[in-house]
Amino acid sequence: MSNVAVSTRPPEPRPRSGPAAHQRRGRPTRHRDDGRAGYVFLTPWLLGFAAITAIPMLMSLYLSFTNYDILTPWSDVEWIGLKNYERMFGDDPAYWHAVKVTLIFAFIATPLKLGAALGVALLLNRSFRGSGLFRGLFYLPSLLGGSVALAMVWHSLFDRGGSVNAVLGWFGVEGRAWVNDPDTALGTLILLAVWQFGAPMVIFLAGLKQVPTELYEAAEVDGAGNLRRFLSVTLPMLSPVIFFNLVLETIHGFQGFTSAFVLSGGTGGPVDSTLMYTLYLYIRGFANYEMGYASAMAWVFLITIGLVTVVLFRTGRFWVHYSDGDD
Amino acid sequence: MVSRTSARRPFKPRSLVRPVVLLLLTALVLYPLLWMLGTSFKAPEEILNNVSVWPQSWTPANYPDGWTHFDVGFGRYFLNSFLVAVLTVVANCTSCLLAAYAFARLRFRLRGLWFAVMIGTLLLPSHVLIVPQFVMFRSFGWVGGPWPYLPLIVPHLLATDAFFVFLMVQFMRGIPRELDDAAKIDGCGAYSIFRYVVLPLSRPALVSTAIFSFIWTWNDFFRQLVYLSDLEKYTAPVALTLFIDSTGQSAVGPMFAMSVLSLAPVFLFFVAFQRLLVEGINTTGLKG
Amino acid sequence: MTAPRLFRGLMAAAIALPLALLGACGGDDDSSNSGKTELTFFWWGGEARAKLTEQALALYTQKHPGVTFKTTWQANQGYFDKLATLTAGDGAPDIFQIDDNYLAEYATRNVTEDLTKYQDSGKLDVTKFPESLWKYGVVGDKLAGLAMGENTQGLVFNKTKLEAAGQELPKTGMSWADFITWAQRAGAATGTAGTMDPSADYKAFWVWLRQNGKDFYTGNQLGFAKEDVQKWFELWKGARDAKATPTADVIHEGNATDITKQLVVTGKALTSWVWANQMPDIQKNTKDELGVVAYPGDPSAQWARASMYLSVYRGSKHKDAAVDVLNFLANDPEAGKILGTDRGLPSNLDIRTSVASSTSDPSMKASIALEDELVSKFGPAPTVPPKGHATVKTELIKAAEAAQFGTADPAKAAEQFRTAAQAAISR
Repeated sequence: MSNVAVSTRPPEPRPRSGPAAHQRRGRPTRHRDDGRAGYVFLTPWLLGFAAITAIPMLMSLYLSFTNYDILTPWSDVEWIGLKNYERMFGDDPAYWHAVKVTLIFAFIATPLKLGAALGVALLLNRSFRGSGLFRGLFYLPSLLGGSVALAMVWHSLFDRGGSVNAVLGWFGVEGRAWVNDPDTALGTLILLAVWQFGAPMVIFLAGLKQVPTELYEAAEVDGAGNLRRFLSVTLPMLSPVIFFNLVLETIHGFQGFTSAFVLSGGTGGPVDSTLMYTLYLYIRGFANYEMGYASAMAWVFLITIGLVTVVLFRTGRFWVHYSDGDD
Repeated sequence: MVSRTSARRPFKPRSLVRPVVLLLLTALVLYPLLWMLGTSFKAPEEILNNVSVWPQSWTPANYPDGWTHFDVGFGRYFLNSFLVAVLTVVANCTSCLLAAYAFARLRFRLRGLWFAVMIGTLLLPSHVLIVPQFVMFRSFGWVGGPWPYLPLIVPHLLATDAFFVFLMVQFMRGIPRELDDAAKIDGCGAYSIFRYVVLPLSRPALVSTAIFSFIWTWNDFFRQLVYLSDLEKYTAPVALTLFIDSTGQSAVGPMFAMSVLSLAPVFLFFVAFQRLLVEGINTTGLKG
Repeated sequence: MTAPRLFRGLMAAAIALPLALLGACGGDDDSSNSGKTELTFFWWGGEARAKLTEQALALYTQKHPGVTFKTTWQANQGYFDKLATLTAGDGAPDIFQIDDNYLAEYATRNVTEDLTKYQDSGKLDVTKFPESLWKYGVVGDKLAGLAMGENTQGLVFNKTKLEAAGQELPKTGMSWADFITWAQRAGAATGTAGTMDPSADYKAFWVWLRQNGKDFYTGNQLGFAKEDVQKWFELWKGARDAKATPTADVIHEGNATDITKQLVVTGKALTSWVWANQMPDIQKNTKDELGVVAYPGDPSAQWARASMYLSVYRGSKHKDAAVDVLNFLANDPEAGKILGTDRGLPSNLDIRTSVASSTSDPSMKASIALEDELVSKFGPAPTVPPKGHATVKTELIKAAEAAQFGTADPAKAAEQFRTAAQAAISR
């Protein structure tokens, strides 16, 4: 690990001029016992977790062992043990189909989206005339979220008579009804996800800005070319942010709901080809009123993605470089 | 940096690569948006039949029609959305920053456990939380009160958006810890380090958080739909869906017009704030 | 069983405790002081429906100054999600709109108030309704919803294109085979596919079943066998092979129930299978002139369906007042005049006659004419679809599309649907 921070100078010792109140509490021993401070800073989150996040989560865990159907009052909910889980694993082909669709989507869309985001972020990193506008333009698609208008746009592009086929026609390729064809509908969904690469792009841009310019200058003095600079400076310095985007986009990839919902009109069609896990979960919960089952699905999802995340964190130790020297 | 590129003038063909690639990419990315813009000027029956970008008959009336389509002017929905979004931005930036500082910089007992729990809260598909959350907020008395935005905003005050906590943790971990150590030698405690070292250096993280909070809130549909029940209190995404009742009346043209309009504030917000992102950290602390 | 029980107990405690603590400070105190009653009222629809409904409710308040309304309306999208969530939080509106896809779901779980006693005491008057119509709101032995309008299946066709190509128009009473032949011919002549393939459409399948002496449901059971589904799928496979319908991808677009996606609107087929009262809204989305007839086969298989209902929440604190509002909206001549045909043909026959005679919209007239023509032929209404119907509907779409795209043959698709449908209604 190249130690970056050595070359940076600490800031002016401004704290001296700061309010003396902070020093009154006895100077912290140089070692790490910020125990109390840690919990002070964590208070809002802890409160939020206890009061707002934890209760609904526990409720949903409880409901996953029941036949809860939303409409029946809580008091009449029936405990059915592991039945929901048994059904999911043994007696629901659509469930496994949804798992398959989701895996395909996540494994293709996530790397493509991250690649597009990093590539464009590198292109836009330098300031040039209009660079802000470009950043905005590339971010625009993400702003559309899951609106009805977006669905209509995508259908008009990828339908049989749509613009994509018109372009393909110039090259003598005969297109098909991409969005309405069970073989290709998931592909259009992946393209939509990649098209909305704005969010990770912005995070990459912000990360790139955090790379101290001195490092590039030092590398240039050493005679490093563009590629070397990228590999030995940009990538390691950017790795925490790359890691963040990887974790988040993986989670988002697996959770992909909105675009599948909007493009398929909430059905996961044609013929279940875009039936993402969370969309299926939503259909079970809100259209079929099988919220107990949906909750069980959600907890299986949490555990699975949790494992994936743990694996990512573990592998992250080998390639993510933190300037703070922690692991 | 600009000077560096201009120093390399002789390599002409290479200097063209970037603009050409950028323009191509822009065209690709923008085409669907242009389609949307063009469609917002089409007459309703044309929207459903004509797939080209260019309208056959220009119908700018979609804009005034959409704006005044409901008893409540559409501007009101933008204002409501703006209010919710700005409050969310402020809440997220404050609360998540505090939590992130604790996770990224401070040592305390059970830190690892809490961090794992925090990441865990990101993983549960939100649809199973809607009902329990609604039941809970209703028991708090927040639903249907005089100010119906409480359930949409209070959670953000309490850093429940783990996404942003995680984002800021990752950014903060990119700040050299030597800075902290130096500050400690100068007698700073955890609070002063937060105020004088971490806070100023967290600008890119804060700006990213602001941008995302704003935009996601601006686009959030389901939660706003569930908690808002008064036509005057609806937000833009909820109001946008009012144009099309799939079982009956539809006003596709005005819907497209208002969709285009609803992109404008977020776009401007982004273009304004990304500057801060670009200026970022280089000019603040490190170069001294 | 002890370990799970312990776990269960712990979980229940973890949840019940905070809720109990919170419950104390929550709840909605309907401040019904000084005899003022505020009723909450929730429906889906467009801007026009909102205006009419608000107007009718204002009239009620004018006549009963003690009663005011807090209305919420939104489009169809997300309506039932929100209604379910509100119900879960014991915050369902006093009056809400619902349709036959969901009525049984809500009624069998006792979310809706049984209106029978109000009907018996005359506070809710359905004597002017066609009997089969108000009975279509009965689930089990409870009157779960008051029919706020009537509709029936309608086959909408593109008159302009057919006449331009010199083709005859479809007629009520054509046999299915004749209809498919007609569609094939008309499609060849106009260059637009003759008909949408309705094999994924439960209401078309339902009519066809009834014409064949079966039914979609008999009570809480499926009223058809796997073989019936297979025959139905094969009928349309034949039509697709004969090019009477568009290709599977286009059919898939038309399988969405949205009005704007109907193929007769998007110009991708000459006929679409809809509800007759949707005719005016469909017409608004296309320049071509449309016409409407009954589905093929014997029209007596069709029935007077409640296009939607209004129901009263069982947990409402103002049930009597809410029922009175329902009665007013359905039976008051002035209210009827205001509401018009927005929710379907008015249920009250007196009001229907006066509204029908005063309407000027030609497509509405066509829709009313069809209902008038059929009303004498209508067979008895089936029972309201049971709990699980919404799932059955989507399973039919899934199976039919598998047959349309050729990922399954009609026999396999039929098998798949029958099994899935059975599972859905027995949950």
